Amino acid sequence: MGEPQGSKRILVTGGSGLVGRAIQKVVADGAGLPGEDWVFVSSKDADLTDAAQTQALFQKVRPTHVIHLAAMVGGLFRNIKYNLDFWRENVHINDNVLHAAFEVGAHKVVSCLSTCVFPDKTTYPIDETMIHNGPPHSSNFGAYFQQHGCTFTAVIPTNVFGPHDNFNIEDGHVLPGLIHKVHLAKSSGSALTVWGTGKPRRQFIYSLDLAQLFIWVLREYNEVEPIILSVGEEDEVSIKEAAEAVVEAMGFQGGITFDTTKSDGQFKKTASNSKLRAYLPDFRFTPFKQAVKETCTWFADNYEQARK
Amino acid sequence: MKMGSTACGTAKMGEPQGSKRILVTGGSGLVGRAIQKVVADGAGLPGEDWVFVSSKDADLTDAAQTQALFQKVRPTHVIHLAAMVGGLFRNIKYNLDFWRENVHINDNVLHAAFEVGAHKVVSCLSTCVFPDKTTYPIDETMIHNGPPHSSNFGYAYAKRMIDVQNRAYFQQHGCTFTAVIPTNVFGPHDNFNIEDGHVLPGLIHKVHLAKSECRGLPDGVPGAQRGGGGSCWHGTPDTRPALPGGSGSALTVWGTGKPRRQFIYSLDLAQLFIWVLREYNEVEPIILSVGEEDEVSIKEAAEAVVEAMGFQGGITVSSVPVAGLVGTVASLTVLPGAGGGLAGHGAGRSFSCGLDYGAQFDTTKSDGQFKKTASNSKLRAYLPDFRFTPFKQAVKETCTWFADNYEQARK
Repeated sequence: MGEPQGSKRILVTGGSGLVGRAIQKVVADGAGLPGEDWVFVSSKDADLTDAAQTQALFQKVRPTHVIHLAAMVGGLFRNIKYNLDFWRENVHINDNVLHAAFEVGAHKVVSCLSTCVFPDKTTYPIDETMIHNGPPHSSNFGAYFQQHGCTFTAVIPTNVFGPHDNFNIEDGHVLPGLIHKVHLAKSSGSALTVWGTGKPRRQFIYSLDLAQLFIWVLREYNEVEPIILSVGEEDEVSIKEAAEAVVEAMGFQGGITFDTTKSDGQFKKTASNSKLRAYLPDFRFTPFKQAVKETCTWFADNYEQARK
Repeated sequence: MKMGSTACGTAKMGEPQGSKRILVTGGSGLVGRAIQKVVADGAGLPGEDWVFVSSKDADLTDAAQTQALFQKVRPTHVIHLAAMVGGLFRNIKYNLDFWRENVHINDNVLHAAFEVGAHKVVSCLSTCVFPDKTTYPIDETMIHNGPPHSSNFGYAYAKRMIDVQNRAYFQQHGCTFTAVIPTNVFGPHDNFNIEDGHVLPGLIHKVHLAKSECRGLPDGVPGAQRGGGGSCWHGTPDTRPALPGGSGSALTVWGTGKPRRQFIYSLDLAQLFIWVLREYNEVEPIILSVGEEDEVSIKEAAEAVVEAMGFQGGITVSSVPVAGLVGTVASLTVLPGAGGGLAGHGAGRSFSCGLDYGAQFDTTKSDGQFKKTASNSKLRAYLPDFRFTPFKQAVKETCTWFADNYEQARK
């Protein structure tokens, strides 16, 4: 690690995405520390499904620490259709990044899982020990610790939302999808139709809150076992309640109809944030309605360039 | 991203109608050689062109080499056996490498098969991929229900990913990519390396060494006579002198001998593999194993090897502790007339040598998973009449092969 003592170079893959942008903002707003050099990269800088490009990137940047956010992601409907591609591309990205980090001698890598990786048939709430109690997931960073003693770890956020999200109605996640739909309904006078029954339940975490927690994990969390980053179980809401929050935030006067012919996806994925609370009992999450309002405002202000 | 293309099943089946070209990766290994033999002995059908490849033909961890191989061979069917494999102790040390190399091999092979339009791919899993904490017997629906045993989680997860990827190929493109799950395979052409190989070939190699080196008696023991490269003592078991402090055993079996396994002879597995290639069309894998009633302990397996290699006394466990010896002392008595051909001794003499100081179990060494009992009900529903080679016969054939091919055997 370079001078002065303890200085870090932190490479953030997926730097242009929802969470990457949030970390950028939080760092720019003063969360960075002296001695921390933050480098945000995106697909423009390297195609991480390509091992050679990934190696070249890591050789160029020579990070001491990595926050690995890059992935091929999509909403429920896109995942349903393209399981093979989601599998292969993400396995390649993850292997290339983890191994390049290992080869360049990185001290720590924090990757990003998701509560959607947990077993479908399970008891609730889900906690960190339960990841593998059902169908497996694609990364296997535990092997780096076992064979080489590296601190490669991961966080498990619940549903993330915020500025810079993918607001595409077909391919994006539920909250940005709702925001886009309400925006369209408002501006064109059309009806608001929500896919599914509205009954499934989710814990939503604001990207700016997640960013703060990511930075804490990078600096302070040293277990190989992943950690769930989420609001508590008591803050779980239904899709219907989420839609109502968006409608209220955007001042939409029309009604909501539910297209129950569309898939609901998983009914619940309630995750426990006990482990996080044991470390950070006083961390305050942005209240849901306030976070939704900020995101809706950002979307309206940035409609042209927003990903949709 | 290929959207909506259906490349599988488009490989041209040549003339005459319905002919197949079957590519077997890992063709030089334990199972690959067994399939080669079974096909050569007449199990092949007209119109089947079998192509066996090994690491000499392509490095399957390299995507470009794998693609080139598949473009060259243009198979209509694939039996995918190639993998980085090893025994318990090597797996424990190198979980990362077992994970990465096998994930790369499997992705390269499956995707090359897809791109070349193969109609069917049959890959090879293992019962070691099943969850560690589970009810028994294990069956095909339980593969993903929990973490595998920690000793080889890298290898186990990599193998599980084959099933995940098979399902994805089926879900996205409708391909018949499937897999079999054998229990412990053994037979000719195995890896008999004691450090890195599996338990049965390891035992065979150890017994072979113990037999041929005829050693184990420390110098200075009364009655010892020099011969055959070491000291042996000739007499009868009841007048055999006690050992001084320290092990005199020539055969050490790692672990307690208590874990249980179902063993499947490679030639039986080969026949079943060929049946799966031709007739089994589910995406869900199928366990290929002897029944639960044929599960044996490691101790029983060691006894079978010892018996097959010419020692009729078997292994017994002594309840009398012997000062200075580690683990359980077992005594092995060689009957008169047995062991013909043992170096330095004529047949018909009453003698004790090397192994007479017993096989012992080094309980400081890991046992691995205690049991992995698998159900073969699914197989039996398809093939109620399939006959497995009796275990002792299969062990005998393997021991004979090893002795006959000692020089070139992998060890």
